[in-house]
Amino acid sequence: MLRLDAKRPASFCDGLTRRDFLHAGALAPLGFTLPDFLCAKPPAAGSRDKDVNCIMLFLVGGPSHIDTWDPKPKAPAEVRGPFQPIATSVPGMQLSEIFPKMAKHADKFSLVRSVYHTATAVHDTGHQMMQTGRLFSGGVEHPHAGCVLGFLKGQRGEVPAHVLMPRPIGRTGGNMPHGQSAGYLGKQHDPFVLNADPSDTKFKVPDLLPPDYISAVRAERRQKLRDAVDGAVESFEKSAAAKQLDDNFNLAYRLMSSPQAREAFALDQESPAMRDRYGRTRFGQCCLLARRLIERGVRFVTVNMFETVFDEITWDIHGSKPFTDIQEMSKVVVPSFDQGYSTLLEDLQERGLLATTMVTALGEFGRTPKVNPAGGRDHHPGVWTILMGGGPLQGGRIVGESDELGYTPKTKPVTPGEVAATIYKGLGLDPHHELNGPQNRPLPLVDYALQPIGELF
Amino acid sequence: MRTQLWLSLCLLASSSGVVRAAELQLQPADVALTGPGATQRMLAVAVEGKQVVGDRTGQAKFTSSNPAVANVTESGVVQAVGDGVATITAAHEGQQASAKVKVTKTQEPAAESFRNQIIPILTRNGCNSGACHGALAGKGGLKLSLRGYDPEADHFALTRQAGARRIDRQEPAKSLLLRKATLTMDHGGGLKIEANSRDFQVLADWIAHGAPGLRADEPRIQRLEVFPAAATLKPTDGLQIVVRAWYSDGRSTDVTRWAKFSSSEELVAKVDEHGQVKVAGHGEAAIVVWYSDLVAASQITSPFAGSDRLEQQLAQSPRHNYIDELVLAKLRALRIPPSGVSNDEEFIRRAFLDAAGILPTPDEVEKFLADSAADKRARLIDALLQRPEFVDYWTYKWSDMLLVSTRRLPQPAAWSFYQFVRQSVASNKPWDRFARDILTASGSNLQNGAANYFVLHKDVTDLTETTAVTFLGMSITCARCHNHPLEKWTQDQYWGMASLFARVAIKNGDRSGEVTVQAQPSGDIPHPRRGEAMPPTPLDAKPLAASSVQDRRAYFADWLTAPENPYFAKALVNRVWRNFMGRALVEAEDDLRQTNPPSNPALFDALAKDFTTHQYDVKHLIRAIMNSAAYQRSSKPLPENAADDRFYSRYLIRRLSAEVILDAYSQVTKVPTPFNQVLQGTAGGFNNYAGYPLGTRALQLPDAQVVSQFLDSFGRPDRSVACSCERQQDSSVGQALHINNGKTLNDKLRAKGSRLDDWLTEKIDDEEAVRRIFLLALCRKPTPAEQDRVIKLMQEAAAAQAPRREVLEDLVWSVLSGKEFLFNR
Repeated sequence: MLRLDAKRPASFCDGLTRRDFLHAGALAPLGFTLPDFLCAKPPAAGSRDKDVNCIMLFLVGGPSHIDTWDPKPKAPAEVRGPFQPIATSVPGMQLSEIFPKMAKHADKFSLVRSVYHTATAVHDTGHQMMQTGRLFSGGVEHPHAGCVLGFLKGQRGEVPAHVLMPRPIGRTGGNMPHGQSAGYLGKQHDPFVLNADPSDTKFKVPDLLPPDYISAVRAERRQKLRDAVDGAVESFEKSAAAKQLDDNFNLAYRLMSSPQAREAFALDQESPAMRDRYGRTRFGQCCLLARRLIERGVRFVTVNMFETVFDEITWDIHGSKPFTDIQEMSKVVVPSFDQGYSTLLEDLQERGLLATTMVTALGEFGRTPKVNPAGGRDHHPGVWTILMGGGPLQGGRIVGESDELGYTPKTKPVTPGEVAATIYKGLGLDPHHELNGPQNRPLPLVDYALQPIGELF
Repeated sequence: MRTQLWLSLCLLASSSGVVRAAELQLQPADVALTGPGATQRMLAVAVEGKQVVGDRTGQAKFTSSNPAVANVTESGVVQAVGDGVATITAAHEGQQASAKVKVTKTQEPAAESFRNQIIPILTRNGCNSGACHGALAGKGGLKLSLRGYDPEADHFALTRQAGARRIDRQEPAKSLLLRKATLTMDHGGGLKIEANSRDFQVLADWIAHGAPGLRADEPRIQRLEVFPAAATLKPTDGLQIVVRAWYSDGRSTDVTRWAKFSSSEELVAKVDEHGQVKVAGHGEAAIVVWYSDLVAASQITSPFAGSDRLEQQLAQSPRHNYIDELVLAKLRALRIPPSGVSNDEEFIRRAFLDAAGILPTPDEVEKFLADSAADKRARLIDALLQRPEFVDYWTYKWSDMLLVSTRRLPQPAAWSFYQFVRQSVASNKPWDRFARDILTASGSNLQNGAANYFVLHKDVTDLTETTAVTFLGMSITCARCHNHPLEKWTQDQYWGMASLFARVAIKNGDRSGEVTVQAQPSGDIPHPRRGEAMPPTPLDAKPLAASSVQDRRAYFADWLTAPENPYFAKALVNRVWRNFMGRALVEAEDDLRQTNPPSNPALFDALAKDFTTHQYDVKHLIRAIMNSAAYQRSSKPLPENAADDRFYSRYLIRRLSAEVILDAYSQVTKVPTPFNQVLQGTAGGFNNYAGYPLGTRALQLPDAQVVSQFLDSFGRPDRSVACSCERQQDSSVGQALHINNGKTLNDKLRAKGSRLDDWLTEKIDDEEAVRRIFLLALCRKPTPAEQDRVIKLMQEAAAAQAPRREVLEDLVWSVLSGKEFLFNR
């Protein structure tokens, strides 16, 4: 996750040693009063570099394209579904009526209505491909786009380059899902996983701060003791592995005591009104925290809307238990998304961050056009719709279309690899930049044949 | 008197690293030029003893004895003029060297060979690379085979496809092929070949001569020769590499300009696309040369500075067995002095952790320190190899390698597989027997655990590739679809090997989770390009007769475990060596291939031979390594060996593995880790599981699906794909945060019944507490300075009214979170 020797080195303000840090810690070890001792800069827009950031909202379960952003009002009833289309702020763009808030911000995102994949119609294939641009085979553990960004650009200040929240996607029926880590780039570049629910009233990032029973005084004592017993110096001096461990402990200390990092994760510093605006749901509060993190230097935030598709109301609307049906989705999942997503776009724009922050909202596949006997829709990777905007991406556009019944792309078919290429290009990276894969095999970020979606730029 | 002076000057010069007078030599010494205009690039090199120590080509003056036969340019390129014999002479600083040139067939018209000339030009210019037309889908409508492995298809694509517009036999220069490559027409790949360059001319001539395809009778390339084969240089030195190809008709050709070059160690020596080497640092690098489907290498040695004490340091370094002779020989060549001997405290901790994954107890440490016998280390090693924890540790290791897990196996099957591995380790089953038992396993997977290998790898390609990684230490996966770009293996060889695994039948058994594995007499797996099965053939070996009804797996096992097999013993040796020495002779440990040379080939050969002649006895190998002085060296670097991380001049420190750290936390705190949840195979989430009684150590777990945030964070392998890369040894911020703030260590420190409780009951003082935790965790006593520093901090805490328990917890935490604890050194 945190790499010191990446191509562009992490921008540490100076050569602080751990001793300096401890000194700083001694001033106010775990309080909020530390001055700018550790180079944490106030989140003023002017102090930021021009690099583009990205928030990836992963709509785990696979939203039904017909019931959401690709309505088919003229299709037969068993395809059309229960919802009517509504107009949006962009002439000609229609969404399902269950997204009234999004409809007002249609100028801030574009729809890609012709995404498809040809792999097995299970959740994890889509998870892999949408996060890495690739299907996993042959044992090569491809890195998540956010980890690639962190690897190539390093972190900004004390905050991690890539934060994943609230938790990694768990099993959705098949193997442990791939594509959520840094893979062959190494554990160091893994995302910082929040492992907590920001909508929880007692929200706290586990492991980020010491447990309650370790007071500031104790934490400081532990660090001093640790330094005092750190013997055998000579053997360790020249070891890169030992240096890496030291660096990581130092970064952990800095993360623990850095006002920048502490502040970034301190969701309670947002006003109650702001928290209400995003919706007091897990997804809404994740969106708010994502904005807060981007504002404070994080480059990439992945928000998994769900961790699983079982025994929870999700986008996975098979209709029968343990899954969700169309009505439950429209009453629970959709409003939470509509509010969180719309507020995020609006808030980013108000803060002048939308121009440098891409926001993508995507699922792993669409749903079968024909409603099944249980009143739900099943997995359908044949075509689906994703939302892309912010950063250099144009809003208010519709790229590609599905056929009249929403079975397959009718124009401009787009593969997950091309979506990844678009994200990389939006981030200012060459989609065919070669990484050193396993056994030094050169691996382009996405396959050479794949190009970004030109219509979005 | 004069001789004496000369001798002493010589000695002085050599011991201080100054270059002695060297003799000039021309390479290649014998040149045969065939056909009109044939050329050969010459190298004028300085040679000392038998070693090339410098490239003088740029400064030497070249002359030809007979310019009517052969010309030579200022830069040393010899060109055929007329049939006959000539001598080429190079002169430099008063020295001369010569080479014979024989020129033939200058009057015969040139006939360009598609296979031997056109394809290499396309490869050299990147036309058929993975980024361009060699991509699976081709590029811009033209698809060539990756790096030209399928010349027939390439000839078809270039001469017939696209309405045969790619070549124009009447006006070659108007061929699409040339117009695109020279960018006289739009080309996504840009300018690849300059108009009127030599490559351009060859392509144009080939087209003008009718763009002929493959000829059955044309000579085939047989081997590559690289000049110089090896060189000893120093930083900033340059060196040109010259490559000569030999063909089946006895002809040789200079192919330097079409060869591709890469360096195995860019920090030691870089090489550019023309084969020009630049030495950048100290150490060894292999300059790998690729031409056609062959690879060859030139070994570049750049000795370290060393010091004038080097010979003495080498002479004084102990030699316990053959390993030491070979390690020290390499160190001498590179002028790296070895570090001293580890002390007993260091050695006992190291030996326990490396051989059995546990810490020695304070009793064991004290007993060992008190022992004054000369052979006490050898006896300690023997005793360690008999311990049950040794069995736990190596069973875990081979279970990683074999992917033993309930991830894809039902639980009874995974346990049966684990038991098979465990019994094999416990009985020290010879490695050839172990491999054979797995690869020829038949019958019920619950009775014969080894049969689960075939349950895990039902797919023939998966089985073929996994077997190559597991028992040959090499990946042949690339060759499934195309000739291996980094190795010699061809797609035909891949599918020949796959045929050996095409006749395995798996049927459901009577019990839940039971299947039976059986060889069957028929069944074929077709080569995807040829559409028919290749004869069942181990790599580089004779095929089994197609009519044979023998279990093909047994034929493979016979080949695999034969003493002549060049890979089998080395694959295991490399894994075991890495376990103890911290760096494999070939890194990564399962990436053995010609283009990835070992850091000490003589040692690698000797270890493999020793292992083979001792009937593949793994314990014998471990004993040899652990008893070597190389293993027993201190980890403290000397100024002159600090930069060495691969020639074993000192013990390489390394972070302990996830399982070892977690078990050591339990051992030191006396608080076992509960393992009571297991990830579910398919449904998601995890199940409570009561099968692992409290006290089970992480290294005793038969399954990698047991839930543990700590183990995952510290890089436990998934056991999903056969690859040593699954285990991650690097550190992360997440780990540091977890040790600081997470539950694993903090909970153990706070638990009831822990060692801290004992200490509180005993009311031990600060000094005793420090002494005990150092001995428990670091296997040594604190130094007086450490003791003073730590006690002072403890006293400060007491003065500030910190509860005694907290002070002790903090003391133990500080030791267990420190580098010295987390590393083996």
